[in-house]
Amino acid sequence: MRRIEFYFRETAAGIRRNGIMAFAAMSTAFIALFLFGLALIIAREINLVIEAVTGNVQVAVYLSDPVKTDTVTRIQSELQQLPAVASVEYENKDEACARAKQLFESNPAITENVPCDVYPASFRVTLADTAQYAQITAALSCEPDPSTHDITCTEPGVLKVLDFRDILDRLSAITRVLRNGVLFIAVIMLVSATVLVANTLRMGMFARRKEIGIMRLVGATNWRIRVPFLIEGLVEALVGAALAIITLFLVKVFVVDQLRGRIVWLPLIRNGDVLAITPWILIAAAGVAIVAGTIGIRRFLDV
Amino acid sequence: MISLQNVTKTYKNGVTALEAVSIEIEKGEFVFVVGPSGSGKSTTLRLLLREEEPSTGEVFVAGKNVVRLSSLGGIPKLRRNIGCVFQDFKLLQDKTVFENVSFALEVIGKPKHVIDTRVPEILDYVGLGEKLNNYPDELSGGEQQRVSIARACVNRPLVLLADEPTGNLDPNTSVDIMRLLDKVNKIGTTVVMATHDQAIVDAMRKRVIELDKGKVVRDQSRGVYS
Repeated sequence: MRRIEFYFRETAAGIRRNGIMAFAAMSTAFIALFLFGLALIIAREINLVIEAVTGNVQVAVYLSDPVKTDTVTRIQSELQQLPAVASVEYENKDEACARAKQLFESNPAITENVPCDVYPASFRVTLADTAQYAQITAALSCEPDPSTHDITCTEPGVLKVLDFRDILDRLSAITRVLRNGVLFIAVIMLVSATVLVANTLRMGMFARRKEIGIMRLVGATNWRIRVPFLIEGLVEALVGAALAIITLFLVKVFVVDQLRGRIVWLPLIRNGDVLAITPWILIAAAGVAIVAGTIGIRRFLDV
Repeated sequence: MISLQNVTKTYKNGVTALEAVSIEIEKGEFVFVVGPSGSGKSTTLRLLLREEEPSTGEVFVAGKNVVRLSSLGGIPKLRRNIGCVFQDFKLLQDKTVFENVSFALEVIGKPKHVIDTRVPEILDYVGLGEKLNNYPDELSGGEQQRVSIARACVNRPLVLLADEPTGNLDPNTSVDIMRLLDKVNKIGTTVVMATHDQAIVDAMRKRVIELDKGKVVRDQSRGVYS
């Protein structure tokens, strides 16, 4: 107990004494972790959009109403026999409706006014080899309609085929660019935060070199001497992380929530999404503290 | 208690501070280490504290070969058995007399009840029982040195190393400090004191080890400065 009290008193004294540097370290950690969190949130948002647009399949084969059971089994086995197809999943009308309701749950205008039976049943196909897509259209005797870009099929029971490969490719390209761009900035900021925290620790140790000298002289262990500084680094990084998390929630409330409902087709991240990335922010903060601690106190490692 | 066996210390810059030095000091002895600047006095003290390692030879303190101690636990443990007093006192200016002394116990993890009994006790012993809450800059040089002696002794060390403890003090104050060190010695602490102060060495008539250019040139019980 007493030891813990000692560590925290020393840490508090260290941060007070080193106020401006500690502030600089904390604010850099804050900005870095905020950008890091933003990158993760952007990735999540785009995944939501992909899910909304494509249902995470590459090709959808919609069936015309009314759906007959023997049509379902026939087409399913037909698709599964194709070498280009990795998996086929059948989604009946109820499931299609439920998925749509979930996707658009923030838009009561859609969920309340669109009746369930407009959602067609479909086969959701994942391809083993996306280049061999033509196998599907050939098997179902489909032809692209140049005026609507839809692919209409003559196979009985099949309404049309939607090819999401192109959209998927583009969306994941956008995801990559946006997420990597923000991550790149975040990494640079995280490095600066680490260096700043390390420098703060080093300045703290320099300011207290006399105390450290006496601690060594009277037989304090290395860890006894270092732990207050390591805690100081951890506190600075965690304060930055806390601010970053709060700011991300504020962004969600004041930016994302303002958009909600305005763009009807666009699903938006929710509190749960922000909550889900907080562990990563905390892990990044701990990483900053550990690396900064190792660099910052290295010079004082020798007894 | 202390044993240097054929110790040579050459620093990285090529300076040989000690050359084939052998010294034996028994428990409870009071020893002066004298000699001109650069003769190796400070190096000897630093070797005992394991702030330096000998280039060749062995150093034993309280039965332990200090070269073999680990920095993780062995060296701190060694230093808990050695008190240190310096010419410049090395007190923390932003801590009171009490805090300066209690700091030495706190950082080695002594419980509060030990600190609360031992610190006033030792400050009383060095004659500063009334000045617990003063800051170092409110004290005279002699009083500051008493605080530093209290800090060195509060953990009841086996050995007290004093590096020019009277170097910053006037002759009368120096005598008071020497009386105090003698008192500490009388209760069984081995005292090793490096000094230039001829008057004090002559007056105390203790064992004198004289170093010159890194070699022991004289080792005399009940000796004088030169």
